[in-house]
Amino acid sequence: MAGKKLTVVISQHQGKNPTKRKLEEDLAVACMLNPALDVSIVPNLYDLSHDHTGTLFLKHVPGNVVVLAWLYPRAIHWVLDRAGIKGKEGTVLLKSEDDEPEDDVEDGAKAEVLGALQVPDRRIYSIDLKCATDPQQFLNEINRIVSESNERTVDLMDWIQGAPNSDQLARYLNPQPVAEPVAASVADDENTIRRRWYPVIDYSRCTNCMECIDFCLFGVYGVDALDRILVETQDNCKKGCPACSRVCPANAIVFPHHKTPEIAGANGEVTSLKIDLSKLFGAPDAMELAARERDIELVRDGRDAVGITAGMTKRQSKSKERDQLDDLLDGLDSLDL
Amino acid sequence: MADDLLFMMGKYEARIPSDRLYSKNHLWLKPAGDLYQVGFTAYSVRLLKDVYFLGWSVDPSTTVRYQQEIGEVESSKAISSLYAPFDGRVVDFNPRVLDDPSVINTDGYGQGWLYTFESAEQPLTPAEYIKLLEGTWDATQRMLKGQVNEDL
Repeated sequence: MAGKKLTVVISQHQGKNPTKRKLEEDLAVACMLNPALDVSIVPNLYDLSHDHTGTLFLKHVPGNVVVLAWLYPRAIHWVLDRAGIKGKEGTVLLKSEDDEPEDDVEDGAKAEVLGALQVPDRRIYSIDLKCATDPQQFLNEINRIVSESNERTVDLMDWIQGAPNSDQLARYLNPQPVAEPVAASVADDENTIRRRWYPVIDYSRCTNCMECIDFCLFGVYGVDALDRILVETQDNCKKGCPACSRVCPANAIVFPHHKTPEIAGANGEVTSLKIDLSKLFGAPDAMELAARERDIELVRDGRDAVGITAGMTKRQSKSKERDQLDDLLDGLDSLDL
Repeated sequence: MADDLLFMMGKYEARIPSDRLYSKNHLWLKPAGDLYQVGFTAYSVRLLKDVYFLGWSVDPSTTVRYQQEIGEVESSKAISSLYAPFDGRVVDFNPRVLDDPSVINTDGYGQGWLYTFESAEQPLTPAEYIKLLEGTWDATQRMLKGQVNEDL
């Protein structure tokens, strides 16, 4: 059973940066030479449309998969989830310095998040290609995952006492339904790749509060049959605009290519070792900024700017627990100078 | 000329000179002809500690809005974007602090000025600025301690 191969998928950078391409190629070659691995290269995951051969290929990868992309791991995981490529989060030890582990959230506090639906029993290991420059670091991590995957195999067989029934065996050998075979390497093929810009919801944080659907006036968000929030019309989103991410109280909305790491899916505070004095030095608060960004896009579309109130009344009227910044900012404003 | 004012940040005395005006975002504005020379107050510098890096994201002679982002600063203790104190025009930058930002620490009210600024708005008087510091100091301390688990 230990002979089962682990699939490694390398998602290319959007640009043609030679250093990044070389890292992708070096990794691909090294993985091809490793008999424990099946390797494929796809264009940038985020840009893949739902019917791109890269997406179709990914949907049909059975079992555990390692995905390397130039995105934060959270962004990788939830971009895949939105595309219907689902799995449990595999533990990755190789992380970038600015991607601090999340504070431990108590189970109680997490209970109200939506979570992903229909997650099959396999693991997706999301690795950020930004977190190292030496291919060997990635290969070491992949090898570690290979051995971890093999251990899990043994554990599972133990759990069913080495005597799986036929259903269990079928599920185990083939956890994802397999349709027609799809080409394994689909980079640079006839499918032209257009750069896209849209939000990705992290359902491990989303509480279905609907602030985003109220706020966005471009019809990006919708709800599914179970009334769960959904990024319905991805390409209605306005390129460069991250405003809904700022209004999300749970930091659950990721724009994987935004320049601010927290918006792009980094965990924790980016400047964790230093205090951020931006508020003191006059930074507008997130709501103001979000409203300004939205107004710019509305005006570009020939519509009227709506200011800060539209779609944000719910949050303002809600008796949310105040934080220290609220006090600070109100303190500044109430001075009436 | 009246004596300089002092604001106590714990045991630290932040000196607020009375020969100039101030903004809510902790800058001093010293009238110089039709313009203001702008710099960090002692309060700002105390929070920043040693300044390592200063960079501007707008060109000289740029018209800016209140709270528009115009640059960034990094110090031993903090990192921050910098924002226009009022609607107005950023006229020119002090080349000396760009070359060696440590002047901000050694002579923050003099050679360590940041830029010249033109604005029709009325900045705060030293007394008004002190009042603002007094009114917000508790909340500021809580905000800062929320970010780092150590005393300033």
